[in-house]
Amino acid sequence: MRTIQEIIAIVKDSSSWLLYRRAEREIQKFKQDQRGLFNTKMKVAVLSSFTAGPLKDYLVVEAAKEGIDAEIYMSGFGQVSPEILNQESGLYAFEPDVTIIVATADSFAHNPFDAVEELIKLSAVRQERGTGILVVNTFMALPDWPLHLLETDRHAELKKANDKLRETFSNNYQVQICDLDTLAAYYGYANALSPQMQAMAHIPFSEGFLVLLAKKFVSYLKAQAGLVRKCLVLDCDNTLWGGIIGEDGMDGIALGPDWPGREFVDFQKAILELYQQGVILAINSKNNYADVTQVLREHPHMILKEEHFAGICVNWNSKPDNMKTLADEINIGLDSFVFIDDNPAERQMMRQMLPEVEVLELSDNPALYAKSLRETNFFAKASLTEEDKKRGQIYAAQRRRNQLQQSAATLEDYLKSLEMVCSIRAAEEKDVKRAAQLTQRTNQFNLTARRYTETEIQHMIADSNWNVYVLGLRDKFGDNGTVGLALLEKHQDVWRVDTFLMSCRVIGRQVEEAFVNRICFDAVNTSVKRLGAEYIRTKKNILVSDFWGKMNFSKDRSDENTTYYHYDLDNYTSGTFEHLKFE
Amino acid sequence: MTTHEKLEKIFQDAFGTEKLTDDMSIDTIEGWDSMAHVALIMTLQKEFNITISPAQAIELIDVASIKQLLDTSHC
Repeated sequence: MRTIQEIIAIVKDSSSWLLYRRAEREIQKFKQDQRGLFNTKMKVAVLSSFTAGPLKDYLVVEAAKEGIDAEIYMSGFGQVSPEILNQESGLYAFEPDVTIIVATADSFAHNPFDAVEELIKLSAVRQERGTGILVVNTFMALPDWPLHLLETDRHAELKKANDKLRETFSNNYQVQICDLDTLAAYYGYANALSPQMQAMAHIPFSEGFLVLLAKKFVSYLKAQAGLVRKCLVLDCDNTLWGGIIGEDGMDGIALGPDWPGREFVDFQKAILELYQQGVILAINSKNNYADVTQVLREHPHMILKEEHFAGICVNWNSKPDNMKTLADEINIGLDSFVFIDDNPAERQMMRQMLPEVEVLELSDNPALYAKSLRETNFFAKASLTEEDKKRGQIYAAQRRRNQLQQSAATLEDYLKSLEMVCSIRAAEEKDVKRAAQLTQRTNQFNLTARRYTETEIQHMIADSNWNVYVLGLRDKFGDNGTVGLALLEKHQDVWRVDTFLMSCRVIGRQVEEAFVNRICFDAVNTSVKRLGAEYIRTKKNILVSDFWGKMNFSKDRSDENTTYYHYDLDNYTSGTFEHLKFE
Repeated sequence: MTTHEKLEKIFQDAFGTEKLTDDMSIDTIEGWDSMAHVALIMTLQKEFNITISPAQAIELIDVASIKQLLDTSHC
């Protein structure tokens, strides 16, 4: 019996459909015998206007590479409309987590405007009736006349139709628009299409483009399953700049507007784009600390500055050891990290010692570093919240907080000096994205680790049987944004704490006590008798195993992974929190 | 690598077969279905740097006919 790694190795770097097809078959056999080995299972429906058989093969293999067991439902050839319109269709019976519609404009109508209206109508019907999220692909431009001189309207029309599609669903959490046309343009239209596969089997796309398309779809699966990484950890010498700072000095390293040096500036610009999307940055380098910080502070061509980094681990320890230090300092799990190092030996060591850390297989050529990074999906998020945009800053501020904590004499002094202001309020529409994201991404301080989609959160906010609380916190180093979430299911006399979580970055600042206190306060004021709570053990939330006990909840019973608690609100006395101001 | 060896390797990778014999066909090899057939044609074109027309593709349903095509294509 082959291992899943051996099966994935069948395709290596090839785009051959024949090999992907073989690998797909092997994965199906593998699943029959040892289904438990995948971490995540997802049901994916693909509705397409062409033969989607190859897409299934590519999708299953690319998902398996990411540890996802993708069970695929395929519509018949050209069966997009019937599958969606017929309530008895296989699509609805399958109850997919993700539904992907990929169709050509001419499969719906002669002109792209009518086609897009039809696609919008179908998407709305599917969303009303079906489960999970919907990924709708834009229409791809048709074969063109590259050397002709007269401009046709076709591209402009298609682009307008695609814009219409995007605008229609821009504020819809459940419908994601996948820009197939832009993806095909990136790959090159001429190479993305395969006239021969089209002629033989109604498959419009080339093998190479099918790989890219499958990877793109897997990005949606990863985002939906919460498998997105959070932090990029960088080596310095020959990664952020050319040369070795300890030997070549500030003036000797390659970093500037011209070669050699330009390639590193371009790489840093790509990293800065990630930072602006909320990726946390850190440094893990074997160097003298002072040498590296001097470059960060003083080199005129550094795009990345000291203020961008949430952790700077520069010493002569092993890099896996430093990685563990960074995980503690930044307070995120090792499986949130992506590591970049130009040295293959360091990469190999990281993979062996800390397999949870994702390691980028960097090109040997620094001019291709940025391309290597840009073509990954480690950080591919389905939506961007205000918190995301600020996250890099928030974590970098945390590094300064930690410095303050080390210099403060006592914890009391430290908490006082932070000048914290806390807000606890009922969630509104604007909080939906962030609330869902918190359930999907918070692992350590998460009592039940229940994951919710944006749609589910939206329903809870609208449902009078639920209370959805969000907690915000700012201090003298900046605004941490929304960092706490509680979901309460309300019964006559009892409120059940379905979810209680806090972002790791504010743990240990007595905010969690204030949060519980506020929930009790509200419950008492609506004459509720008791709170029910659970702790569901996962691999990662051992930190809070006794949280309810510490909050004076009484333990009722335990089964396999769950401990049940309750709190009699007769016992409630309002708490005081002298280091916190409330607003 | 001879044409035979190269073809044998392609079939091994694609279908998990062992020794390649002329009498193997779409009826005897598990997994060589209509979709795999299109995939096989694309691979043969790429690996042997030849063009296979749809009319030829329909005929290539056993190892003997594939070999015959490759021989006449001077591979």
